[in-house]
Amino acid sequence: MDRRNFFKIVSAASASVATAGCGRKSDKLIPLLVPEREIVPGEEQWHPSVCSECGGGCGTIVRIMEGERTIERNGEKFRERIACIKKIEGNPLDPVSGGRLCARGHAALQSLYNPDRLHGPLRRTGDRGKGEFTAMSWEEGIGAVADKLVKIRSSDPRKILFLTNPQPGTRVLSIERFLKALGAPPALTCSIDSFAIERKAAELVFGWKGLPRYDLGQARYALGVGADFLGGWASPVYYARQFGYFRQGRPGIRGTLVQAESRMSITAASADEWLPVYPGFEPHLLIVIARLLMDEKLVRNEGQLSGPEAESILKADMRKLVRVSGIDEGRLRRVARELGESEAPLVIAGASIIHTNSLETLIAAHYVNFLLGNIGKPGGVLPPDPEPSDRSQTGNIVEALKRAQILLLDAENPVYSLPRSSGVSEALANIETIVSFGTFINDSAAHADIILPDHHSLESAAAVVPSVSPRPAITVGMPFVQPLYNTRAVEQTLADIARKMNVAFEPATPKNYVDPLLAGQRWDDVARQGGLWLDSKEQVAPAKWGGEQLSWSDPVLAGATERFPLRFQPYLSLQYHDGCGANLPWMQELPDPVSSSMWDIPLEIDPKTAAKLNIATGDWVRVESEDGTLEVFAYVHPAALPGVLSMAIGEGHTHYGRYASGRGSNPLSILAPVWENSTGALAFGATRVRVTRLERKPGELIQFSPRDREQGPWGYR
Amino acid sequence: MNEEKNEHRWGMAIDLDRCTGCQACVVACHAENNLPLSDPESAAKGRTFHWIRVDRYYEGEFPDIRVKYMPVLCQQCDEAPCEPVCPVYATYKNAEGLNVQVYNRCVGTRYCANNCPYSVRFFNWFDPVWPEPLGLQHNPDVSIRMSGVMEKCTFCIQRIKRAKEEARQEDRGLVDGDVQPACVQSCPAEAMVFGDLNDPESKVSQLAKSGRSTRLLEELGTKPKVFYLQRAK
Repeated sequence: MDRRNFFKIVSAASASVATAGCGRKSDKLIPLLVPEREIVPGEEQWHPSVCSECGGGCGTIVRIMEGERTIERNGEKFRERIACIKKIEGNPLDPVSGGRLCARGHAALQSLYNPDRLHGPLRRTGDRGKGEFTAMSWEEGIGAVADKLVKIRSSDPRKILFLTNPQPGTRVLSIERFLKALGAPPALTCSIDSFAIERKAAELVFGWKGLPRYDLGQARYALGVGADFLGGWASPVYYARQFGYFRQGRPGIRGTLVQAESRMSITAASADEWLPVYPGFEPHLLIVIARLLMDEKLVRNEGQLSGPEAESILKADMRKLVRVSGIDEGRLRRVARELGESEAPLVIAGASIIHTNSLETLIAAHYVNFLLGNIGKPGGVLPPDPEPSDRSQTGNIVEALKRAQILLLDAENPVYSLPRSSGVSEALANIETIVSFGTFINDSAAHADIILPDHHSLESAAAVVPSVSPRPAITVGMPFVQPLYNTRAVEQTLADIARKMNVAFEPATPKNYVDPLLAGQRWDDVARQGGLWLDSKEQVAPAKWGGEQLSWSDPVLAGATERFPLRFQPYLSLQYHDGCGANLPWMQELPDPVSSSMWDIPLEIDPKTAAKLNIATGDWVRVESEDGTLEVFAYVHPAALPGVLSMAIGEGHTHYGRYASGRGSNPLSILAPVWENSTGALAFGATRVRVTRLERKPGELIQFSPRDREQGPWGYR
Repeated sequence: MNEEKNEHRWGMAIDLDRCTGCQACVVACHAENNLPLSDPESAAKGRTFHWIRVDRYYEGEFPDIRVKYMPVLCQQCDEAPCEPVCPVYATYKNAEGLNVQVYNRCVGTRYCANNCPYSVRFFNWFDPVWPEPLGLQHNPDVSIRMSGVMEKCTFCIQRIKRAKEEARQEDRGLVDGDVQPACVQSCPAEAMVFGDLNDPESKVSQLAKSGRSTRLLEELGTKPKVFYLQRAK
């Protein structure tokens, strides 16, 4: 679908849909559905929606055609004609996706039509964590939750804990209003893809609220530090589009990317040069770069050179910094010179793998960008547009769980995303009531007493604020297909609970979310196009460094070096992201870009360490930390840092449907409870481990293209 | 069909300088073309279907190592090694240069897959299974292949047909960019370009002429219609 065709469609076919129910107040939460009679066999319709697979908030369009499903009524099976979603593509009007989409975005369809989706409300029958439930009615479920909430609210409303995803939008705003109405504390998030440290640094240094936007498309020479921006970072589609343009979009100009990362991510692989920085020593590397820029007189912002920050850099022991970063000084010198001499230099820093000193990385990177004079300029670091509502915060989740008497879980999976050593399971066991709104029984929902399943995001109304966008944007999706099962949108469920409790509560709807920002546009058009995109207002970028101190502490690591000699870094993969993609068969059978493995992702180990430990690709190994053990296949990776083991987050769910349950291991589970201080985020790169080869193997490592395929004879199949 | 003979000659250019290896194309293809789902058991036997895959290559030694990604799909060869070995003409070259596979002619000798130097053909050993309601997603424009049948990338021939139909309804000819296979449509870095090689002005023709343009295993004389633009530098 291209832009021209989509315009044609939005102006004709869906006009009636968009206007049908948005104007009337009573219709707020009633979906605007495509009536069955409008579905003509063989004819397609396209409707705008929002991708909810990560915080990127890509606008999408979905293709609807007729389909047939089997339903059971009074013991008899019927075939029913319904409107089905056939494919998801990027919305060509959306400034984030620009009509493109990533692998997970496409696979969202398989969570909509997943055979393990919940069909209606459930009540726990077995022990907590067993995942045994029986069906109940919505009235029963809502009554039970309302009763509990009334009791807890009258004794101490602070004991109500709501966990939800962080992305600002109608969902988070509705939950915020609900909690305010009850007098409960604001919702928290335990998601490992909230990029809270990146936000914190932008706030400290620039006073910006939100993620800075790196204008890669206009840059000439980019140095990436610790941000896997083409794979598991803030907005993969947006940055991949920028990257394509950066490389080959400008006649006669080809951007050069140097990537400093402790793992060969897809970003590092796409770069012109990879600097294999030792994990947790990114701040040190950036300080070296800053110093080299000063030494070579390549600083464009001379005003910066008089501050205490510059002095602290001049006093630093360069030799030591170079040594700990693990990169050859000559290479660093060359990169610093090329960066400093470039017409449009840019440093893109992030914490794709969180260390205790990740905030220092971000601040140091902003400082280097200051020296390069690119803040607020094309090809530089641009301020984010203000977010129209709050996001839910990270914080000390385990403490919050310990205090809670009732836990309400929406789209968060603390049992999976927090290490065992944090005491999350024990904390859950002590909570009186756990309510899940999830569409699946996952690791955490298995502990729930009551499950009140949400619609799938493709079946519900939502407005979300994308994490990075070139223009002020709110992506809007209105429902257009009949919910497949007896589910209710969380906003609706909360409204029902509030009514039962006699509490005044009005959930946020996309229309009233967008209304105050319309600025002359019409809501009907917004719903029809799938978003509100405004013209950028001139954002003022600070010209002077705000006085934030630079520092470069060594990362705090858990585990004694003698007993646990290896570093361990779980990472966000492009297949599973924070683990939520593991129940999609398309993601399970997608060959891993590194190992080409399917249905599990192996542990990456470097050839030297592997040889020392007698480990070969396909061996079954045990990874031990002070706090736990896991077993996994090994993949000897020629581009892994010596002594650094990497493992994708995503597998190892106890409960998550037939495709994910009991498959592989969860690298987060064996981590030590080490947190990043400024945000309370889990420092998942801070654990030391040891690894041993096991004789017994549960099976074979499954690879789509084993390595010999590239070297040896073709056609092994 | 005859009146359109030689009107188009479809080809693709893949710019490896843009490609990030993100695999969006792989999943887009699954969604568009109703590819059978694998399970761990069949995957272990090498029976996973990916009409397009992303191959990886290592170059050099740590720390000066580079990893390269390369999407590989049916190269739609002009001199396709798969065609002459088919005893039943199930695979042949159509008028627009597409190497097409006629499912209901295929008798499953698998000679074509043996002869394909790119390993892009996949054989259905069993009937495909989609646990309900996963099948609701199926694209009605693409037929489901049953056991005993070979399948492979079609350059999204259903999309070519749809674009032609739309153009005909609007009483115009096809313009460059009207046809986009699912992989090309999804590519975030815009590394893939599809178009008519008969049209010298089309983007794909221009890219095919680029100094960076190469073809995969060209020395075999297969004359592929997929052009790879090598990484610059």
